[in-house]
Amino acid sequence: MTEIGLRAVISLAQIAAVMGVVMLTVMILTLAERKVLGWMQDRMGPMEVGPYGILQPIADGLKLFFKEDIVPAGANKFLFSLAPILALVPALIGFAVIPFGPNDTIEVFGLQIKPFIVSDINIGILYILAFTSIGAYGIILGGWASNSKYSLLGGLRSAAQIISYELNVGLAIVGVILLSGSLSLVKITEAQSGWFWNWFVIALPFPQIFAFVVYVISSVAETNRLPFDLPEAESELVAGFFTEYSGMRFAFFFIAEYANMILVSCIAAILFLGGWNAPAPFLQFNGSLANLAWLSGIFWFTVKVYFFLFLFFWIRATLPRLRYDQLMRFGWKVMLPIALANILITSIAAYLFPR
Amino acid sequence: MMNFKTWLKSITFYEILVGMRATMKHLLHYKPITLQYPHEKRTLPDSYRGMLALLRYDDGTEKCVGCDLCEAACPSRVIRVVSSEVPGEPTKRFAKEYYMDMTRCLFCGLCVQACPVDALGMTREFEWSVYDKRQLHLNKQQLLAIGDRSYPVREKRLELQHPNVAFFNVAYKTLPQKAS
Repeated sequence: MTEIGLRAVISLAQIAAVMGVVMLTVMILTLAERKVLGWMQDRMGPMEVGPYGILQPIADGLKLFFKEDIVPAGANKFLFSLAPILALVPALIGFAVIPFGPNDTIEVFGLQIKPFIVSDINIGILYILAFTSIGAYGIILGGWASNSKYSLLGGLRSAAQIISYELNVGLAIVGVILLSGSLSLVKITEAQSGWFWNWFVIALPFPQIFAFVVYVISSVAETNRLPFDLPEAESELVAGFFTEYSGMRFAFFFIAEYANMILVSCIAAILFLGGWNAPAPFLQFNGSLANLAWLSGIFWFTVKVYFFLFLFFWIRATLPRLRYDQLMRFGWKVMLPIALANILITSIAAYLFPR
Repeated sequence: MMNFKTWLKSITFYEILVGMRATMKHLLHYKPITLQYPHEKRTLPDSYRGMLALLRYDDGTEKCVGCDLCEAACPSRVIRVVSSEVPGEPTKRFAKEYYMDMTRCLFCGLCVQACPVDALGMTREFEWSVYDKRQLHLNKQQLLAIGDRSYPVREKRLELQHPNVAFFNVAYKTLPQKAS
């Protein structure tokens, strides 16, 4: 009994730490996005709150917290309240299986725990795919329950888009799973240890570069970011599925979007860029400093994740929005065949050159 | 060959990469064109058409003679003039009351052009946001006060004056004429 209690306490502490880090990253992202976009467009971004506007996320949070909570007339109250939670929870729950650092075990009060992963289940990537699909319900229900044409159109677009691109994400991942022979994110990362040419994006026998491109593009589409932000297209649908939302409910959708961004960036870093592994063995703490290897592991993981997050901003600053038929054609006629061909070739390569 | 090239460009996202290079260039050579408005303000040109004002002569008397031409010229009926005689001087008139409803003004400057005595001026003030719309309904005293604080030198620059007014200035003849 005491052991179960202790485990629960430790797990809760781990969950709290992970949530804290994710929320902090969301706060950083909201600022970083506006700053980077501003710099790329010869603007300054937020400059008023604090020096160079670095306290802007706190001001935004306070503003959203104290705003009036409006439920539009004719809205389905239950679903309207449920939708933001349904969007946020799947976005955050995926972080349970993300390994943030090396797969070390430490002993706390006689219990073996892994400090850098909340729960190392052997179907990690499947679990994440399953839960991110549930996130689409939040968007669709939020769009439907608002009793507004803009919201409904946004929800419908989101449904079609997420179904189309979820498929490509799933198929792009299959190549990596074939090469690593495991669904566990920890095992997948461990299969890429050593030099950077062991990372699955360029690893022989068959580099997953096509799968990588497909995954990155599809994940941009899945998180409803530009240039695939049709569900919330500002110039057409006001704000898409969260047109009618305000205050904390809006903040939930907002956090969910950014948490999803972080999640897909984490997955991309783990699957294709070797997770916590350094590009070269001498770039992490070795020998006498081997006890500090987790520090360099976390550092490299953070660098990779932030590279992807920066890529999101970069693409957003560069590209205009796709038309709806372009989006569908690109998803089904371009990405899907590439992903399928990648699976075929990778499975042949994995059969001929077993690792 | 041409087809192969376009095909190669499309599968390597060449056009998108060119665009991304352009945005990255702007990020690396970061030079904002924004001004942090309340803290730093740009210099406005002399001919800026801002808040309207009534002007005075150097000796402090009002220029306005109450002729109503500005009221006639105004396309959005901003101005209302109540003209009357100067007491004791039946040949002279002045504006007893002069109202401007600045909520309707579109800053076209037609009233300034219409004024035969240059009694109206457009200042460089533009920060006139108020909490109460009625505060934009200005009377003569307020308009004169705006003119007093915006035109410490009463006269318009000579080349900007109407020829009918500027003609009486001694410097007018030496002024280089515009080729028309």
